[in-house]
Amino acid sequence: MNVLILGANGMLGPHVVKALESAHNLRLTDINDLDTTHEYIKIDVSNLEQVVEVAKGMDAIINLSVLRHDRKLAFDVSARGCYNMMRAAVEHNISRIVNTGPHFTITGRTYEAYDHLIGPDVPPHPGTYLYAHTKSLGQEICRVFTENYGIHVMSLLFYMFMDAETHRFYPEAPVTETGKDFTPYTVSWRDAALSFSCALDIDLEDLPSKCEAFFVFPDLPHQKFTNEKIKRILGWKPQDRLEQFWRK
Amino acid sequence: MTIHTLEGKIPLVMNVLITSASIPVVMDIAIELSSIHKLILTDTKDVSSSIKFIRSAIGHDSDTNDLVKGMDVIIHSGLVNNSDNESSQLDYHMRCTYNLLWAAWEEKVPRVVYLSSLTQMDKYEENLAVTERWRPLPRTDTQSLCYHLGEYVCREFAREDKLEIVCLRLGDIVNNGVNHESSSSVYIDDVVTAIDKALSYDASGWDIFHIQSDVPNARYLTGQPWQGGDELPVNLGYTPRPRTKA
Repeated sequence: MNVLILGANGMLGPHVVKALESAHNLRLTDINDLDTTHEYIKIDVSNLEQVVEVAKGMDAIINLSVLRHDRKLAFDVSARGCYNMMRAAVEHNISRIVNTGPHFTITGRTYEAYDHLIGPDVPPHPGTYLYAHTKSLGQEICRVFTENYGIHVMSLLFYMFMDAETHRFYPEAPVTETGKDFTPYTVSWRDAALSFSCALDIDLEDLPSKCEAFFVFPDLPHQKFTNEKIKRILGWKPQDRLEQFWRK
Repeated sequence: MTIHTLEGKIPLVMNVLITSASIPVVMDIAIELSSIHKLILTDTKDVSSSIKFIRSAIGHDSDTNDLVKGMDVIIHSGLVNNSDNESSQLDYHMRCTYNLLWAAWEEKVPRVVYLSSLTQMDKYEENLAVTERWRPLPRTDTQSLCYHLGEYVCREFAREDKLEIVCLRLGDIVNNGVNHESSSSVYIDDVVTAIDKALSYDASGWDIFHIQSDVPNARYLTGQPWQGGDELPVNLGYTPRPRTKA
């Protein structure tokens, strides 16, 4: 499959590339320079013409682009970037989109602060927190396009990431203590990346609808959220249970 | 979090900010309302008007706070400006709406009236009794998306009790020869009546009302009070002016 990756030079990008490169032809894009052996095109995801142009000849688009804190750029990248991606999908008849975001794109504080066994198939409550709000707008744009075109969008939703070997969220982060519990929605980088393989492998006809969201984290004992859906529908099998963090 | 309601202190003449003043129909609404209320108009472009006008990019800065400070109500239009490209239109109706509401919350503006459209519901069959309780079915054209995403931004501010927001989904506006009458029409005098009601009725925090005129075979039900659970009914008090010939 010819796969376009938007935002390939972010934190998740290298892990996703590693998980997909043996099975797919990858076209990587980012607003920053990227040293890679794959095809690479520098684009700004908020530029409609650039996104439409770069999607030519692709079978699927994976959107890893995100900008969290700057008020202008967050809307440009996280919301309008999704519009541009969906316009490109329509233009080039690309029927498989894998979008990404934080879990609070759907289940914001009004769920997380109160409930347990929270799943992704609920009405979105992103609230007004900029990061959640802008990514949720992007997701909503994707959903509207799926209702008007023959495009399937799978949203892989994450929260915290962990390097299962170094016990760091990212290379410069402090080492996380074991046996002290952690965010009950944490996934190893390599398991997170494997979920993209599942999203490219599944027959689109096997999806319940043209717009589906999945919570991506391993079997954790907290029961705060549920990962049942991604295991059942995408067949995702995480390797890292991260047990050292939640067991004393 | 505090809702800054109008309850008990509704002024006869209200300070009202109206956005998108460069759009002709918005200006027509403003002219009608200016005989009742003290208005300030704003737009990202210059507008010539006898009503006070302040040009604003509605950015994330103190200028937007200054713009909304002292207002009793903000009327924010979801109409797109056709002179802008689609990226600018989407940017305005998502980001600028967010900025405007954020500033309104910070400056304790009691209420925002968002002007959306009944086109959000026109994918339903015409023989269905579509009301405010039905799910919007937006299209992907920029105008439809902007209405929908504008409502989306508003809804989240209301959900967090940051602002009291009234969403008016207006029919196809007929005014000065713009648009011919259809089963979804709303005449400009009815629009002004509905907006004037929306400025001061007893709102719940997040209310949606469908607004259309009394035209033959009117497609949408309008003017119905809504009640949920044991709460008091929410009623805009809007009744379209009788026009249908016997």
